[in-house]
Amino acid sequence: MNVRRTAAALLSAGVLLTATACGAGDDLASDDNSPSAGSSGGGGKISIASQNFPEAALVTAMYEELLKNAGYQPSVKLVDTRDAYMATFPGQVDVVPEYVGGIVNFLNAKANGDSAKPFEAGDGEQLAQQGKKLLDDAGITLLDQSSATDTNAFFVTKKYSEDDGVTRLSDLKGKKVVLAAAPDCSGRLDCEGGLTDKYGIDVTKLLPLGYASDQTYKSVIDGESQLGETSTTDGTLDSQGLVVLDDDQHIQPAQNLVPAVSSDYLADHPDLPDVLDPLMKALTTEKLTELNGKVSVDREKPADVAHEFLTDEGLL
Amino acid sequence: MRLFGDTWRYLTAGGHWTGDGGLLDLLGQQLLLTVTALAMALVIGLPVALWLGHLGRGGWLAVNISGIGRAVPVFALLALLVTADWPGVRTAGPYGRAGLATLIALALFALPPIITNAYVAVREVPADVKQAAVGMGMTGGQRFARVELPLALPLVLSGVRLALVQVWATATIAALVAGPGLGRVITDGFARTQYGEGLAGAVVVAVVAVVLELAAAGLVRLSVQVPRVDTI
Repeated sequence: MNVRRTAAALLSAGVLLTATACGAGDDLASDDNSPSAGSSGGGGKISIASQNFPEAALVTAMYEELLKNAGYQPSVKLVDTRDAYMATFPGQVDVVPEYVGGIVNFLNAKANGDSAKPFEAGDGEQLAQQGKKLLDDAGITLLDQSSATDTNAFFVTKKYSEDDGVTRLSDLKGKKVVLAAAPDCSGRLDCEGGLTDKYGIDVTKLLPLGYASDQTYKSVIDGESQLGETSTTDGTLDSQGLVVLDDDQHIQPAQNLVPAVSSDYLADHPDLPDVLDPLMKALTTEKLTELNGKVSVDREKPADVAHEFLTDEGLL
Repeated sequence: MRLFGDTWRYLTAGGHWTGDGGLLDLLGQQLLLTVTALAMALVIGLPVALWLGHLGRGGWLAVNISGIGRAVPVFALLALLVTADWPGVRTAGPYGRAGLATLIALALFALPPIITNAYVAVREVPADVKQAAVGMGMTGGQRFARVELPLALPLVLSGVRLALVQVWATATIAALVAGPGLGRVITDGFARTQYGEGLAGAVVVAVVAVVLELAAAGLVRLSVQVPRVDTI
């Protein structure tokens, strides 16, 4: 017992010391971040937050390297869900690699309640325009969007697609399917709700096995379910013998990749768009899918894949 | 504070309790899972542990099995079982998707408290009492049934009680493989950022855990009426 207490005391003392050290560091940092330092051009501390699924980690690694290259000192925090960083963005977090529909609809739900009608525009610019007031109110500015877009997508096995001639979601009209998807899929317009109402698919059962998760893939491959949920930039499908069905009735809102920046931070660092715009131009859905495959299938590190891509595109 | 308000509203809305997939339905499913897993663990664990305790040997085995059982995370075990060809994710009657895998994982989770308590309880029956029984000419079987087991019973049952409550609370992991039970309310709530719903699920699990604990404690008290030994 005594040993434990001593250990605990030492530990808490250590934590306190570290905390004090961090506090001191932050004071210095805020000096660096004062408007006079910022307006003189690139540089200064910048805090990036994002989610930790492979694509988000990959794009975050690209942001990090580009910003470092431009003289910033980026710090990165990857978390499980959008909720986890939105509590501190903008504020402690300065920039987030986002998706247009994702962030606008998050702000919409926050401002107008969970049952607020989501924005559904299929065009990224249009959707950003519709969400402008929400973004302004939140103190967030969206920079230039990429043409790369990552929306929900639904896949079947290649065998099923070939045998039954199913290539579009509307080919499934009237058919009974078991759907393996994220737990929040039920009723959503870009998920079960849209599949049922717009496509007329008879979803007999919804297995909450996760978004592009191994359990979801396995369920479809094993034939337990026929339709699985993933993203348009999923680089693992081909190697698993799975194929995405075309969203020909457009139930997915636009999810172009876009940097979301704290408006205050942007005012102090007007050169930020110069750093991130070229990346947004270079990324396409196809390229992103290929890069995701390198991370998820070949198990390369996001930072290495990011570095290789940035070098190949001449962005460094 | 809004969170607790949401939780309260979710719990007090009658519609959430009834019907297919309602709280009561899920509660029943989870109870069935719990009781079955516990029964499996009792059938496997009790005889072995009691026998080893009676022999006063094999403590090393009992303690280590328990130790390993405690060290392996149930969820890791469940994940292993559902990815294996057997038992996999096949639906097992009222136990739902991946029912067999869930039952096995939960039963193994219930073993440590049952085995440890039963072994220690029988083994630690005072030596002079055991010697007195030998002195009276009792056989091994008689000693076990008439001396050791009655004296060990309170501790054995408290192990079962512990296992019951642990398994009940842990059975929520069935939801992670799209199985039955109240875990579904919790995972759904968090996945849809309806934290009130998630917390409501957790509250129901916690309340039932307390009820089970009290009920089990009451049963133990009723069943363990140690006969008074009248001295002459």
